[in-house]
Formats: sequence, C-alpha cells, structure tokens
Amino acid sequence: MTGTTPAKQPANNTPSSNPVLRRALTLGGFVALGIAVVGGIIGFVVDGGVGLLSALIGTGLAVIFMGVTAATILLANRFSGSDLFVGAFFGIVLGGWLLKFVVFLVVVIILKDQAWVNPVVLFLSLIAGVIGSLIVDVLVMMKSRMPYVSDVTLPNQSTDERPEQK
Amino acid sequence: MDATTVLAEITGSIATVGYGLAAIGPAIGVGIVVGKTIEGVARQPELAGRLQVLMWIGIAFTEALAFIGIATAFIFGF
Repeated sequence: MTGTTPAKQPANNTPSSNPVLRRALTLGGFVALGIAVVGGIIGFVVDGGVGLLSALIGTGLAVIFMGVTAATILLANRFSGSDLFVGAFFGIVLGGWLLKFVVFLVVVIILKDQAWVNPVVLFLSLIAGVIGSLIVDVLVMMKSRMPYVSDVTLPNQSTDERPEQK
Repeated sequence: MDATTVLAEITGSIATVGYGLAAIGPAIGVGIVVGKTIEGVARQPELAGRLQVLMWIGIAFTEALAFIGIATAFIFGF
C-alpha cells in the first residue's frame, strides 16, 4: 500500500461480539448433542422409548431456546451500519426473547398432557440442557479475546474470527 | 357462604400462578441488564461489542431461571 488511500476506507462498525457468539452457538450445539446422548441413554434405561423421547425433547428445548438470544444478537448485528442500530438491536433481541417465551409456554402446555412424555425425564433433561448451555456460554466468554473497540483486528486472529471488512 | 369457602372454591390451574411468579424475577433482571447495556452503548458506542457479550451472559443466566420456573410450574403443577 502506498499510503494514498487508507483514510478513505469507512470504519467497520461490525460489533466485536460476533465471533464470540458464533463460537458459543457452535460449541453449545456440540454440548447439546452430548447431553442428548447421555440423557437419552438414561431416559431409555428409566422408561424405555418414552424416556428416550422425553430426554431428547427436553435437551432440544433447552438448547434451542437458550441459543435464541445469541442468534438474535447475531441477526441484529447485521444492521450495525444503520442509524437505527440501537433501536433495531434491542427490538430484535427483546422481541425474540418475548416470542421465545410465548412459544416455550405453548410447547410446555401441549407436552404436559401427552401420554408419550415422561415429565420427570423431560424436566431433568431440560435442566441439564440449560445448565450445560450456561457453562458453555461462560467458558466461551472467559476464553474469548475481544478488542475493546469494534473496528480493529487483533494480531494472530484467524480469518474467520475477524469482523467482516466492508 | 363465608369467605373461607369462597376462597376454597376458586378453581383453575395453579401452574398459571407459578408462571406469574417465574416471570417476575427474570423480567426485572433482564430489564436491568438491557437498560444498563443501553446506557453503556449510549455513552460509548464503540464498546458495543463487549457490552453485547456481557448482556448476553446476563440474559442467559436470568432466562435460565425463567425456563426452569415455567417448566416446573407447567410440568408438575396440575
């Protein structure tokens, strides 16, 4: 670079949280798979096919609904260049949160009276999924390297972790 | 009919009361987390990325309480 153009490049407004959230979602999926396998085996031993299904449903519910927050933040960050970013961000994140809980309520009410669901196995696997998801979130956050500001690239940062250059 | 009998005759699912109780705490918690994040982003917009991660962890912990509370109410409270 000859030094004639660097100042013309517009600032990159992509928030630096994107790689952290993306990594948390990926790792959360793997941990959910592990919890589903272990919970499914325990559920199958306890209550046969009903227990297996309940464990899978419980883990799936926990991980999907816990992951929605990170997913909505990632979605909202696509509008980071907009003047309405702050409003759009909190609208999307909190709207997603509200929608998620309404859907969760409906699902739980429907599942409550089904004969093919073991409530205890479902409940315990839900708790296992929620706690596993929280552990993954905290570990990812603690191990993450984030720049203080959003328009820099850390040295030795891998390409997929870099904020998208505009 | 005295007051005790009237109270005892109230019918319905106690799970709805459980839902209400499970919603109060996380609602306050998420309100505080998001409100403070808005304050932080308004003061220093370039810190939005870091604040978002902290907000996300805060929301995750408070919503975990809501999930467990609502699931307890509706799965076990008939």
